[in-house]
Amino acid sequence: MIIRKKYLFYVLAITSSFIAAAVTGVDSFVGSQPAFKYDPWAFAFALFFIGTLITLLITLSLSIKIKGKSLGAKILDPSFKQLRLVQKSEMKYHLIAGLMNAINTVGYCAIISIVQDPSVILSFSQIVILYLLLMESITEKDVPTLVEIQSSVIVTFGAILASISLTGEFQLFPIFIVFLVVNPTWAVFSIYQRKLKIMKIHNKPNDSINIRFWNVFFSCLFTALLLFIYDLFTSGNHLITGFVTSIDPSYFLLLVLTMGTTFFSYVLYIRSLGMGKASVNNAIRASTIIFAIPFSIILLQLGTITEFSTDPVMLIIKIIGMVLIVMGIISFALTVVKSYIFITVKPGSPIRDTMQKLWDIRGVSHVSVTSGKYDFIVKVSTRTLMKGYERIIRKLDEIPEIKKYHWDSVLKDWEKI
Amino acid sequence: MISAYILITMTPGKTDKAIKEMRQLDNVAKISIIAGEYDIVIRAQVKNLEELLTVTDKIQMIEGVTKTTTQIIEKEISLQ
Repeated sequence: MIIRKKYLFYVLAITSSFIAAAVTGVDSFVGSQPAFKYDPWAFAFALFFIGTLITLLITLSLSIKIKGKSLGAKILDPSFKQLRLVQKSEMKYHLIAGLMNAINTVGYCAIISIVQDPSVILSFSQIVILYLLLMESITEKDVPTLVEIQSSVIVTFGAILASISLTGEFQLFPIFIVFLVVNPTWAVFSIYQRKLKIMKIHNKPNDSINIRFWNVFFSCLFTALLLFIYDLFTSGNHLITGFVTSIDPSYFLLLVLTMGTTFFSYVLYIRSLGMGKASVNNAIRASTIIFAIPFSIILLQLGTITEFSTDPVMLIIKIIGMVLIVMGIISFALTVVKSYIFITVKPGSPIRDTMQKLWDIRGVSHVSVTSGKYDFIVKVSTRTLMKGYERIIRKLDEIPEIKKYHWDSVLKDWEKI
Repeated sequence: MISAYILITMTPGKTDKAIKEMRQLDNVAKISIIAGEYDIVIRAQVKNLEELLTVTDKIQMIEGVTKTTTQIIEKEISLQ
């Protein structure tokens, strides 16, 4: 099926956010259980330990072939074939992403053991979008444009407003955890998951299902290691408590439910990371706050959470925040300009060197060496045409090997999924 | 696997209908409507040159297509 790639990107990111909102509700309930409430470290290990088992089981099920194609390829990610071992080229990225996810989850567990309402928990972490913008300007060859910064700030402020504590409680300790632990680790985790997704494995696109499985596996290892060191120095037993509690029948099914659902949220998130920058993905992911509200109400009705204010002033502030989030996301969606540049080079020009010079230009997403009328077809993505001129055309003019080029802007495009 | 760009020039007013037909074709990975020297760019993915010929042949049969230029990709670097 060929659909508009932009739609697919937003469908993936928003569906992932919706599932994430449901997971946060369940997490909040599981985290408030007596065994985990005062021991978030044990909760983190229990999550990853059961997560590894359930993710392995789901991945194996998705590896089942139906008419020559795996079930996972049919329903989740067309690039997925079957569960496979980590390739040497991926290892570094998996180790960093796993470590970051482990630290992030420990921080997250510490927060949800302090604050119960999921919409409150999610609030502080939205500033990660700004962290990502900053990091992407360093790590990626695509610095943020003014429109991206504006949209990100709108989404971030919207997210803060939308998730201000409904009870008016503003606890300093969880905010410190968010700023110093959760946000930086999530930013690095997102960037490395994106790097993994855009990698080619045996000349084919990497798949999000294997990326997720190995991420949970490495996160589990790192969490175990961190807890082991922590227990050693504090004479605690968080690691053993986590393990024992995870196999306790009264918690096992809850952990399976939360990590099983998380798997689908992350697979879609990783897929969407392969299509757009991590900052834009996380801006869309801010819609989790909106989706978390109905889940909070359901949990309140079920009696699993006890606090949910209906103060009209707070509700108005939250609605304003939600409107800002939606406006920011729409602003991201409507401000991408994609173009093709068709290039002819002078005879005798070194093709590989010219290819590298073209690739080094910021905003270039594809460089193809072609045979035929043109020597290169370059695809570029910018937020504005003016930026395209400043950033790309000027740079093209500086490449002496180029004889002639012409720029054709993309008005609309579709892609096979 | 061979990838190629097929650059298409159209008769004015026939683009929408042609796009609908192009979306049904096998081996078409991406379609872009562009403004400039060409009207449509198609990215095709085929197993061999014989299949590429079949794709270009089918495209040329679509009403409104006046000219196609095929560029076979020899090497590529991409973000995705």
